[in-house]
Amino acid sequence: MLVSYQWLQDFLKLDQEPHQLGEKITRTGVEIAEVKHPEEGLKKIVIGHIIDCEPIEGTHLNLTHVDVGDEEPHQIVCGAPNVAAGEDVVVALPGARIADNVKIKKGKLRGYESNGMICGLQEIGFADNLVPEKYVDGIFVFPQDADVKPGQDAYEPLGMDDYIFDFDITPNRADTLSMEGAAYEVGAIVDEPVKIENVALKADGESWTDNFTAEVDPKLAPKFNLRKISGVKVADSPLWMQKRLWNAGIRPINNVVDVTNYIMLLTGQPMHTYDARAFENNKLVVRKANQGEKLTLLNDKEIDLDENDIVITNGERVVMMAGVMGGLNSEIEDDTTDVILESAIFDPTLIRKAALRHANRTEASSRYEKGVNWDATERALDMAALLLRNNASGTIDEGVITAADEKRQPDVIHTTVSYLNKVLGTEISNDEVGHIFDRLNFEYELDGDNLTVNVPARRWDVSIPADLVEEVGRLYGYDKIKSTQPVLAETHGGYSETEEAIRRIKAIVQGQGLIEAISYSLTSPEKAVSYTHNPKKLVQVQMPLNSSRSTLRQNLMTGLVDAASYNMARKQNQLALFEQGRVYDFENDTYNEHEHLATLYSGNVYFDNWQHEEEQIDFFYVKGQLTNLFKAIGVNLSKVEYKAEEIEGMHPTRTAGIYIDGQYVGMIGMISHAITRASKALNGSEIYGYEIDLDTLVPMIISPKTVSKNAPKFPAIERDLSILVEESVSNQAIENVINDNGGKFLVNLRVIDVYQGAHIDENKKSLAYRLTFLNEQDTLTDEVVNKAMAAIDAELKEQLGAEIR
Amino acid sequence: MDLFEKLQELRDQGLSEIDKAKTEEKLNDVRVKLVGRKSELTEILHSMKDVEPEKRREIGQKVNKVRDLFNQKLDDAKNEIVEKLVKEQLEKEAIDVTLPGREEHLGTKHPINIILDDLEKYFIGMGFKVAQGPEIETDHYCFEMMNLPKDHPARDMQETFYIDSEDLLRSQTSGDQARELEKHDFSKGPLKMVGPGKVYRRDDDDATHSHQFMQMEGLVVDKNITMGDLKGTLELMAKHVFGQDRETRLRPSYFPFTEPSVEMDVSCFNCNGKGCSICKYTGWIEVLGAGMVHPNVLENAGVDSNVYGGFAFGVGLDRFAILKYGIDDIRDFYTNDVRFLEQFSKEER
Ligand SMILES: [Zn+2]
Repeated sequence: MLVSYQWLQDFLKLDQEPHQLGEKITRTGVEIAEVKHPEEGLKKIVIGHIIDCEPIEGTHLNLTHVDVGDEEPHQIVCGAPNVAAGEDVVVALPGARIADNVKIKKGKLRGYESNGMICGLQEIGFADNLVPEKYVDGIFVFPQDADVKPGQDAYEPLGMDDYIFDFDITPNRADTLSMEGAAYEVGAIVDEPVKIENVALKADGESWTDNFTAEVDPKLAPKFNLRKISGVKVADSPLWMQKRLWNAGIRPINNVVDVTNYIMLLTGQPMHTYDARAFENNKLVVRKANQGEKLTLLNDKEIDLDENDIVITNGERVVMMAGVMGGLNSEIEDDTTDVILESAIFDPTLIRKAALRHANRTEASSRYEKGVNWDATERALDMAALLLRNNASGTIDEGVITAADEKRQPDVIHTTVSYLNKVLGTEISNDEVGHIFDRLNFEYELDGDNLTVNVPARRWDVSIPADLVEEVGRLYGYDKIKSTQPVLAETHGGYSETEEAIRRIKAIVQGQGLIEAISYSLTSPEKAVSYTHNPKKLVQVQMPLNSSRSTLRQNLMTGLVDAASYNMARKQNQLALFEQGRVYDFENDTYNEHEHLATLYSGNVYFDNWQHEEEQIDFFYVKGQLTNLFKAIGVNLSKVEYKAEEIEGMHPTRTAGIYIDGQYVGMIGMISHAITRASKALNGSEIYGYEIDLDTLVPMIISPKTVSKNAPKFPAIERDLSILVEESVSNQAIENVINDNGGKFLVNLRVIDVYQGAHIDENKKSLAYRLTFLNEQDTLTDEVVNKAMAAIDAELKEQLGAEIR
Repeated sequence: MDLFEKLQELRDQGLSEIDKAKTEEKLNDVRVKLVGRKSELTEILHSMKDVEPEKRREIGQKVNKVRDLFNQKLDDAKNEIVEKLVKEQLEKEAIDVTLPGREEHLGTKHPINIILDDLEKYFIGMGFKVAQGPEIETDHYCFEMMNLPKDHPARDMQETFYIDSEDLLRSQTSGDQARELEKHDFSKGPLKMVGPGKVYRRDDDDATHSHQFMQMEGLVVDKNITMGDLKGTLELMAKHVFGQDRETRLRPSYFPFTEPSVEMDVSCFNCNGKGCSICKYTGWIEVLGAGMVHPNVLENAGVDSNVYGGFAFGVGLDRFAILKYGIDDIRDFYTNDVRFLEQFSKEER
């Protein structure tokens, strides 16, 4: 809502500097997004009277002489189609500054000197959609009634000397969507009494109510009033009204439609006028639309009406989408003489949905949906009728048709001053509380501590004691509330055990040199289940913004691969990223969220260096990092198993499922060639990573508490074991045999060499292991170790056909 | 030649030989020759049987003196050689310490999580617990429990991703408030929680909008909480995040789940309140929304609003990070350009 400072002065005394007033309103009531002063930045723009005007042959230009108050008229060349002698116009003099900081100089056009420019409204800063239709493509011409004289500044006659407050209201403060409401609010803020005009209307026409019927379903329109104005002469509105309209952001149309917009701005009550010819049967019906009904709106949009739209009909045809916009078929035209004037209240939810459904929100619908003042309906009707008589020479026919008139009891709130103070943390006196309600124009009664407040109908947002806390608090001033700290019984803050464990895991991977990424949870249906061990049912949003953000991810890897692609497209090829976040699925009839951790590596371990140490990241580097992570968080490494596994999006022979105690916890491997080669950015890069389900892993590590052990007092014995096996035998199989047969003193087993090549048989590989034996209680003898080694040798031969070297 | 002359000659010759020996090996040979068991000095002592006893003593003393001299000189020569060797060795081992070291990847925390972790720690220190709610939330918890019944006009303010008629991607973390209010046993003391997490809105991504972002919800409920407490709590937090010399102010606002509702501004840290493009020439920057918990929210969760009350606040973590680090495009948080992410490592604390 754009609120004019000058118009506000109709209602109350204002002497604050407008910008300071705006700041005060922002601090106390409604946010003022901007205080605009339309003449700001303009210079030397005056009223001119066109003395003569002759076409310049062979051009579309005219040569004019314009009285701009100087001794001599100015010769000005003008290209506007509507320029003519006798017009009062806006002239930018030489040296003037017009919109967009453009300077006007003396010039020559087609050999004719031109001392200035005759302006259209856009040229001095008006928005296109505010300029009256007939002046959109030409210069602005003042109406006959305008009291202007050549040479005076053009700002005041055009309302550009005003200050305009942009009320950026929150949905609860629809009461300020009117000048009267804004005046009440500003009056309360600056502590000035507000006077709102009442009307006393005397009809001067025939009675019309016996010849016209209106049927209204009060569920759709709880209040519905009509008047008839006869014999109007459609023309332009007087300049004073046009100024108020365009300063409020509304384009002047004609002296009938403008009145309804003006009254809406004044009272907040949306109004509508119909050409009476639309009701040929003298009948008006308010109902829900029927399936298949259509309406062409005033903005030429053709609407297929919905069964939940409220419509106004003439008993046969729909003539308006109630509360939203009129139909072209009942529009006020130049030859309209009799007008039906409507002031009504419609169901806010139905109006809101209709406006949304047809993408046709209007000044009217946005007021209806937030709630209008129930006390203003009849007054607005009468005020509009009076203005139609004044501005359009109409006759007000006798009588009002009231087809619905539901009464609404004003809210009465009972509370206490001590409650208000308790919530605010203040010690505001009874007198001061009373004064605040006086400022608000709320009726109230104070009986000791007890406070009773009658809330006026315009304030939809106030209905419970907490609402009064806000009214008192904001007008008392939030700055005056003392800052305190809550005095409470002690509470113990912190993270949950699970959250602590996840934070520890993140700290470790970050310490391993990984950069934390955050990706979008929404991705494409394909990516949602790529890199996923066991895809579940997709979770998709209705009305996605686009198909690549339609589905909730079931893995984090896809986000990291997207990040890799983004970085590699920018020549950042050395990557070490991680993400910790949730994945989502639908299983067992419910939506599930799981905390995951994923990492992604590409390039070399070290950045380029002069020593040419360029260890390339491979599967085993990444696996080593993961092993370190497991170690650091206390996973029993002997229970971790890697099983070669095929997973969509991963390299089929370089990927493993990770199992702890037989339970699947995640996967590790290389991103498939199919993905890296298909992407221009990834360009076939070797990219490795792992993804862990923390919901499974974390419970395994948070329960057992470490019990400290003394450092062993006895030395360990190391033995190396070198064997030759078939190529197909996995390390895991060999380690299993060694661990199963090494006896209780075998405490560590490490692969120290793997060889395949010229020095041994084809299809064979040689592996070497270092075994550590330790007896924590006693010195270990060679005899015991030899026995264990012998058992291992025997079983390796027996089970795996290994040759001991 | 008498023995004295011979001794003199041996002494001179020996000293010159020691002088000539330049390696440890040669020096050892010289040592054996000069002071070994078969050295000429020893021979002189053995050949003294025929000499009269007085002279014998004199010669013996002189021989010993020469031997001591030899030993002394041999040790000195050896030290000199070893020292020289060590010196040569060290010279060979010398490196150019100005050459650069080998660098590996440096891990960093995401800037939004830097802000979040800092705030969480701050509130944990004040006795708040950290609650985590679901991102796939129900209409019931996200809206209805928060005093936003169906058809509430404020629902337009939050374009929501619905999954089905009842389930949605939460557009605010407020649902955590409702869940905690339901769970909390007020007989055991006040409720103090923060609830951080991802939220989603049907906004097209551009420099200032993101369909996914991070919020943190805060809630304190007990018997005697005041708006002054809210003001004090928010002021301290704003100073913690944006600097101790920041000023703050509250403005009226509207949220369905609080009454009164306020927004908090901090004095612009770019221009110190004088007015600049960052603060749109107002000197103030809006940082968060807050208010006193709406009685309906308490009642919906089964908490008696005649006895209990409190305050709630919601912080946009992306916004905090944008303001604190001067980021001009919110999408930078989610494209994960490593050059963008790396720069925040020094911000961690
Ligand atoms: Zn600033």
